[in-house]
Amino acid sequence: MKRTLTRREMLRLMMAGGGAALLAACGSPAGQGSQETQATTAPAVVSQPGSKVKITYWGSFSGNLGEAEQAMVKSFNESQNEVEVEYQFQGSYEETAQKFTAALQANTTPDVILLSDVWWFGFYLAGAISALDDLAKQVNLDFADYEPVLLNEGVRKGVHYWIPFARSTPLFYYNKDIWAEAGLPDRAPETWAEFSEWVPKLVKSDGSRAAFGHPNGASYIAWLFQGVVWQFGGQYSLPDFTMTMTDPNTLRAAQFYQDTVVKDKWAVMSNNLNQDFLGGAIASMMASTGALAGIQSSATFPVGVGFLPRETNFGCPTGGAGLAVVSRSPAEKQLAAMKYIAFATSTVNAGVWARSTGYMPVRISTKQTPEMVEFFNQNPNFKTAVDQLPQTRAQDAARVFVRNGDQIIGKGLERIIVNGEAPSAVFAAVNDELAQGAQPILEDLKAREG
Amino acid sequence: MATYTPHQDYHPKTSRREHREWLLFVLFIGPNLFLFSVFTYWPLLYNAYLSMVRWDFLRPAMPFVGLQNYISAFSDPQFWNIIWQTATFTVWSVGLTLIIGLMLALLLNQPLQFRNTARAVVFAPVVISGAVVAVVWSYIFDPRYGLIDQLLGFFGLDSPNWLIDSFWAMPAVIIVYVWKNIGYAVVIYLAGLQNIPRELYDAARVDGAGAWDRFWHVTLPGLSPVAFFLSVTSILTCFQSFDIIRVLTNGGPASATTTLVFHLYELGFVSYDAGKAGVVAIVLFLIMLALTMIQIRYVERQVTYG
Repeated sequence: MKRTLTRREMLRLMMAGGGAALLAACGSPAGQGSQETQATTAPAVVSQPGSKVKITYWGSFSGNLGEAEQAMVKSFNESQNEVEVEYQFQGSYEETAQKFTAALQANTTPDVILLSDVWWFGFYLAGAISALDDLAKQVNLDFADYEPVLLNEGVRKGVHYWIPFARSTPLFYYNKDIWAEAGLPDRAPETWAEFSEWVPKLVKSDGSRAAFGHPNGASYIAWLFQGVVWQFGGQYSLPDFTMTMTDPNTLRAAQFYQDTVVKDKWAVMSNNLNQDFLGGAIASMMASTGALAGIQSSATFPVGVGFLPRETNFGCPTGGAGLAVVSRSPAEKQLAAMKYIAFATSTVNAGVWARSTGYMPVRISTKQTPEMVEFFNQNPNFKTAVDQLPQTRAQDAARVFVRNGDQIIGKGLERIIVNGEAPSAVFAAVNDELAQGAQPILEDLKAREG
Repeated sequence: MATYTPHQDYHPKTSRREHREWLLFVLFIGPNLFLFSVFTYWPLLYNAYLSMVRWDFLRPAMPFVGLQNYISAFSDPQFWNIIWQTATFTVWSVGLTLIIGLMLALLLNQPLQFRNTARAVVFAPVVISGAVVAVVWSYIFDPRYGLIDQLLGFFGLDSPNWLIDSFWAMPAVIIVYVWKNIGYAVVIYLAGLQNIPRELYDAARVDGAGAWDRFWHVTLPGLSPVAFFLSVTSILTCFQSFDIIRVLTNGGPASATTTLVFHLYELGFVSYDAGKAGVVAIVLFLIMLALTMIQIRYVERQVTYG
């Protein structure tokens, strides 16, 4: 016999449905990472003997860099049977850090993560990334073979936390066709003064071509300006976190940047610097060595690169990203993550990565491998960054250790360059903001390192 | 909820019925209320709490700082600048959407050839993702090879450097926002136009009213409920718009296109300052609440319902 649904039953069903929907909704944020959630509370050994350890790797590269990164993961997975890395693209360096911050709250963290120069330190302070020395010993990783300038940036109190992987320096890029047309010597300018003499020959008076391009704040103008500040004898901050944005030499560098666009009008700021360079809208720029492979393969003209120009000094920062192991992962996964790091930065693979991207080989021994020697002979541009490396240094605390310091300085530079505001006033405000941002870092540092 | 008082005991029948009605009410409203509490009211309250702590999303400690976040926000000239920019963005975007939308709707209400195609074209941007729209427009705005530069070139004009110029970046964002959202206004206006009774036009014609008079005295009053609805929804969505700004200008250059919502994102997810982001969220919430109340109170009165 058929029976119609009573009102009460209907309501009961609705309640049940509402409850289910609610449960589903509650479950969704954690759903994706439920495995990891359990893993963090699980005992150290989670897999059966003989089975593969699966780990998650969060990376930040797209385009040709992303392809190279995925190729690295693929070749690791094919090289052995113990560990399987699942690669997950997370967006830019900033977006990766954002997602990692959220993942730490939601307990859905990856096992190995690519963190940029400005982000790893905050996660170190928060205890979110592991000390790597014991893990390195277990996989027989020799830290002595890493480029010391790059490796030491990731060391705190003698302990390694951040292993160099996609490490770069800025280079001076120039369009050789425009250079030849202007009758200039085929090299980067040695000083900014020399470049100032060259610019009238590079600029097109109808505004269709500038001699030089600056990136905007989001594209890390504060990283490139770091080198320029040093060239002018200034700095962003002292090692003890005293901010020096109003140092006369720092201001002199800012005034120079403003003049290039506002007064002398030979440079422009661009939202898409690489595209403008490739399209011939700018004749030269400073950009990461990591962009070299991509730019050379897209350019319709011969690309020249050189050391950054000098002013009173030479100045050039290191940059880019390194790999870290997430401290919440169980011991077995941490070890697996370390195996991947050792693989991706091995003598051979550091070379593979450097050749396919333009990033610097992070291992000393890589430079002597026959493949690398041959590659440098055929592509001298790729060697420029390696030659420049001994003269580079780690960046000032204001940009890399103060949270968001990079963007605070970058926005200040936008105001100076785009709005034409007085450098002294803008950098005074930036100085205050950085000093404020440094306070919690100093507290955390004291708590962490004593 | 009904409670038993001695008075109610004298009317047991009514009381039981009331009781049952209440139960039914709770059964119907309960699930929704519960979901709202968990996903809307609780975050709102939690945000109010966050606005009074200092927290960077990472440290375990969340020291309570009282109103300090509010004081530092309100004493920052940049904050007021951003409020002003948000107002500019909203007034221009909503105003242009309402006015141009009306003109387009009047045009598309005429018996023209290819009218349906034209309507579809006008509506198309509404269903395209804002991020995609912003990417396409970033090429259109390019001062060297963009479409706008080419168009201005016909008149011998130079394109401004839209997205890198603090003055032109906001107009650029407004143009894209209006282009993207105008189709929605047009569709709503068209529905409104079709609801105005023919007889009113006939009567007006008999009384000797010209096209302008008919528009002014029949069409416009007839459309006022629709315009009211549109102004409310447009202002609310405009205040919350994020995607186009994020992709087109990223709030720049030099923060020239940073609106409250974008500022909230920057403070929360770029600077990792939960406290200050909480303050902005509260301010945004109060502004939206106030706007809604004003609109309901004052605008509704002057609306002619057809």
